[in-house]
Amino acid sequence: MPWRYWRWSAEHPLPLGASERAAEGQEVHAGDVIAAGTTYGTPVRVAGARRIGVAPDDLGRVMRVPIGGEVERRTIIARTGRRFARAVSSPIAGRVIHQRADGDLYVAPIVGRWVVRSTLDGEVTRSDDACVTVEGSAWALQGVAAYGPDAVGEIALGVETPVDELQPSRIDVRMRDRILIGGARATAESITRAHACGVAAVVAGAAPAGGLRVVYGDDATASGATTGTEAPTVLCLIGFGTAPLPREVFAPLVSLVHARATVHTASARLFVFAPENAGDFAQSAPSLALSDDWLGARPMDEHLSLAGMTRFASEVEAEAFATDEGPVPVANVLAFDAPRTPRS
Amino acid sequence: MTASTEHVASVEIAHEARTERVPPGSADAPVLRVVPGDVVRVAALLGRDPQLARASAFGALAGGASLVGLVGTRDGRTFVERAELLREAHPDLVVALAPDRRDVDGVAELAEALHFGCAHQHPLPHILVAGDVRARDRIAASCPANPIESLPDVRTAAGREALVARLRAVRRRAQGDVVLRDEALEAAARAMAADAKADVVVLDVTGGATSVIHARLDGAVLGVHERLGVGAAADRLVARAGLDRVRRWIPRAVEAPALLERVFNRARWPDAIPASVLALSLEMALAREAIAHALSDAERAGVPLEGAFAAPLVVLTGRLAQLPRAAQSLLVAIDAFGATGATLVSRAPGDALIAAGALAARGRAVKLPTIDAIAIVAEMWPPRSAIVRVKDASGVVEERVSRGSFLLVPTHGVVEIVLPGTTVRPRAEHLELGVVIDARGRPLAIPPRDAERIPTLARWHAALDVLPTETR
Repeated sequence: MPWRYWRWSAEHPLPLGASERAAEGQEVHAGDVIAAGTTYGTPVRVAGARRIGVAPDDLGRVMRVPIGGEVERRTIIARTGRRFARAVSSPIAGRVIHQRADGDLYVAPIVGRWVVRSTLDGEVTRSDDACVTVEGSAWALQGVAAYGPDAVGEIALGVETPVDELQPSRIDVRMRDRILIGGARATAESITRAHACGVAAVVAGAAPAGGLRVVYGDDATASGATTGTEAPTVLCLIGFGTAPLPREVFAPLVSLVHARATVHTASARLFVFAPENAGDFAQSAPSLALSDDWLGARPMDEHLSLAGMTRFASEVEAEAFATDEGPVPVANVLAFDAPRTPRS
Repeated sequence: MTASTEHVASVEIAHEARTERVPPGSADAPVLRVVPGDVVRVAALLGRDPQLARASAFGALAGGASLVGLVGTRDGRTFVERAELLREAHPDLVVALAPDRRDVDGVAELAEALHFGCAHQHPLPHILVAGDVRARDRIAASCPANPIESLPDVRTAAGREALVARLRAVRRRAQGDVVLRDEALEAAARAMAADAKADVVVLDVTGGATSVIHARLDGAVLGVHERLGVGAAADRLVARAGLDRVRRWIPRAVEAPALLERVFNRARWPDAIPASVLALSLEMALAREAIAHALSDAERAGVPLEGAFAAPLVVLTGRLAQLPRAAQSLLVAIDAFGATGATLVSRAPGDALIAAGALAARGRAVKLPTIDAIAIVAEMWPPRSAIVRVKDASGVVEERVSRGSFLLVPTHGVVEIVLPGTTVRPRAEHLELGVVIDARGRPLAIPPRDAERIPTLARWHAALDVLPTETR
């Protein structure tokens, strides 16, 4: 089933330099800031324990600014309390970022700030300098790949039918902060226009791989790419090129217009915050067939019949399904929610 | 269900999404599983010797791991830049190489950056230290929570073997009693070399990985296993090689954006079948680039390849061996793997060879399955036109060869070739296609413009009758 109401877990990896985080057990809402921090410039190494004559393990006892604390230039970081005091002061304004095993310290200037927002309504289940994980219940739709930063907004339709292409002319600034549902294809033009108009994210059956590379760089792969906040967010539900959405996937999206939603890029999921009884969304969807030339995918008829071993134009012989448009290799037909990554 | 090797009734080989059992048997019978293995991400902390980067790359390639981050004591990065690089790399394993006593302070500094960047990573990466005992102590002090193990110098064969064994153990984690596909291939290559009493090269291309294995007559095996392939890893291959490098092999005009869409769809569609000729051409193009990149990465890592290029036997496996026509497998192998002499190219379709290799890897004496000899490939670059004589059951055929020639001489029965300038006379009992004379030179000159590129490729494809005529 493509749509599932479940208790999901969303991991939010943090960059270096977290200064505040939501505590474990804390209740958060999608869009809430769950971590904030700073980005660092070139750090300066400062003699610590050896300068004030204490063992490295004892440095913490005499520190006046904890690791992670912000300092001004000449702020005393550590000091021994003897009559002839010895002190470590900061040579620059910034943060004390790290204590080395030998007792020296690194102080780095602050060159920027960042925040990370929750993509789920729920409870923080892990919180440390590497990651904040939130668990909560929501309707969710699993895609094949997502690109850009996590996004938060309200569901809005950009197409009339699930086979339509998202046209740039349908996008304007009234769609700011919305998660825009495209149909079979979100073109590169519609993605860039949506981003320029402040649209939170574009969700469609497919997006052009070439366009994604233009936006996200040549390193972008079919697995998706998580980026900084300056890039648009795109979620491909089925594949790349053109892929009409099955009715069972599109109809709930129509019902959920104006519902709060998020795109969690790392897991390529669309979370929609609506009650479990909001509708009969959890229906099985037809299987998907990859086109013979791999240029796109399409939903299949509900009842497939086997055509037996078939020889295709490439001379590959394989088991096939019979369809109105000719035989389709069984291997090229997958359930909507089938795993798309190979087993290790 | 897995069992000790003596009781194994069949071998189950995992592909991208499906598994094949050789021989097909009851699901309850004891089975030995062959898997590609988990992706292992390795970061290296390097001392001052420039050879260390190559040695760590060599070890990662031989162990089938991905080298995701290299930080050196003299790389000019700041403490924060190193920590950011290591955090983004998210390594499963860190290799610290500090063989020189003067590297101790520098590597300790790198270990501090590792601690700063990855102290909260779950699970914490193990650190393998190859170096002075003081380096190990300093690293342990800087990263007190990370498990630390010792490793011999990876610039030596013993050190590399230890690293490969450790990497494979990590790749097998949580998979129970399994044989890795690359282990099975290496064991199969060793057995084939012993059987043929000659050096053997195995070229294996699957959806997620590419292996080039050279098994010497003396039993030594050198394998390079790269996570680039024609399926699930096709998108990574294109990101590495560039789309134009892949597109240049397709003998027709193809728009780059549409080609990229095909690659991305294939990458997210496990075990997809190329039903059209264009999709098949794309799979062949990806296979060429996957092999070429595995070889170039091996060359950069200092892997000695001269012996592999001179091996008289080349065996193709995986997706490469399952292409519908033998000529397709052959052309990919000839284009991507530039042998320096006459070579007998064979292919092993199906999984029987992998199954035999898996049992051999567990020490069981195995009978190798028969493999199909496709052709003897004679690569040459004659200074002036020369005569090549091909003798088979039908008689003697003489072909005049000049630079740029690329032709197939079909043969029947026992084949013997007389090449100019050498007394070696390659022989084969039976060839599926015949003798291929390749005087195109290396590296292959593929014109950049479609107007010249397409006729050139069409000529090479036509010489071996590679692609079917499209009827729709």
